[in-house]
Amino acid sequence: MRELSLICLLAASAFAQSGNLGAFTNSGDVGGPSKKGSTEFNASNGHYRITGSGANIWAKQDQFQFVWREMSGNFTVTATMQFLGQGEDHRKAGIMLRQSLDTDSPYGDIVIHGNGMPGIQWRSTKGEDTNTFDLPFDGPGKYTVKLARNGVGLTVSIAKDGAELKQVGRTEVRFQNPILVGLAVCSHKADASDTVVFSDVSVEQVAPPPAKKQ
Amino acid sequence: MRELWLVCLLASSAFAQAGTFGAFTNSDDVGAPPIKGSAEFDAATGQYKITGSGSDIWAKADQFHYVWREMSGNFAVTATAQFLTEGNEHRKAVIMLRKSLDTDSPFVHLVIHGNGMPGVQFRNTKGDNTNTVDLPIEGPGTFKMKLVRQGATITVSIAKDAGAWRELGHTDNQLGSPVLVGLGVSSHTQTATNTVLFSNVSVEQLAPPAGRKQ
Repeated sequence: MRELSLICLLAASAFAQSGNLGAFTNSGDVGGPSKKGSTEFNASNGHYRITGSGANIWAKQDQFQFVWREMSGNFTVTATMQFLGQGEDHRKAGIMLRQSLDTDSPYGDIVIHGNGMPGIQWRSTKGEDTNTFDLPFDGPGKYTVKLARNGVGLTVSIAKDGAELKQVGRTEVRFQNPILVGLAVCSHKADASDTVVFSDVSVEQVAPPPAKKQ
Repeated sequence: MRELWLVCLLASSAFAQAGTFGAFTNSDDVGAPPIKGSAEFDAATGQYKITGSGSDIWAKADQFHYVWREMSGNFAVTATAQFLTEGNEHRKAVIMLRKSLDTDSPFVHLVIHGNGMPGVQFRNTKGDNTNTVDLPIEGPGTFKMKLVRQGATITVSIAKDAGAWRELGHTDNQLGSPVLVGLGVSSHTQTATNTVLFSNVSVEQLAPPAGRKQ
């Protein structure tokens, strides 16, 4: 009887986790940050309130809170995000594609740092150093970010404070399908957490592109 | 006597080479493209006419024509690039930092493609795949290009035609010192050459930067 209860509890918990995350199916910490993160999804307004800790998403390994689903092929993810409270200049949040939940997994993301600096960052192979391209910025705010996967290409667009989305760049990461697609929050400091509210989140599968050469 | 002649010839040739390339000291093909490239420096106008062939500067190995000098520490390189020949829309004119003349050497460059697309591309380790960030295109034209290295930070800016300078962003790079610094041209095909006129070229050594963290 005790075992049956446990099984029911686990089943209910698993169901709740997947049912409560809107466009995504799972949430959890990557890289075992010392402060645990959390995710709350509000089904009535579609907001995700994601709290993450962790040293960084950088160099050879990452620590952060991740909310994800599995996808293959081409797709577009859009979200509007705002940091709550104060924190490190380089705390970061954004849209991430990730090969696995390993701390040193290949990934590609568009992040907004706490000071408003957008960055396109990626790790091409497991355990490799993170690559970065940081874009010019004019300060913190409420940012809408969009990441479109098109074959090996990841194209990113940004808008600040309700302005029109503007494409800012494109990089290439060679993932194996399927990949994890989601939202990430990192405090850039092991003993701190940051909370970001994501709203207007959409995840859309799109048709394969015509062949494109570099 | 014959030996003396040879010594004189070599000495004069080395001297001529250094004197012929203005801000740079050497010129050669990298990666042995089947059609040889060339570089002409006009001391009166300060213009470099660089003709390069080669499949590309991309993936794990490069073919292009390079005009370079060796430098250490921090510096800024500025050049105005104009394509003089038609060709593949991804033919390239670059300001490049390169570890060695090996075809698969680590490098980082600011590139303008024939169709006007700016990009920042780099190979982190010898034989690694090239990483890319392609930036939004305003169309073909004459581009002022600027690459500044401060510590591990590479900051790039462009200006199209008579437009104002615009910072595109910055990346991190571990090429270290000394490094080859120069201008490169690739036709993006082994069966043609591409000629680019570089004018207003400056190479400036900079003082070490104040500490900066990612």
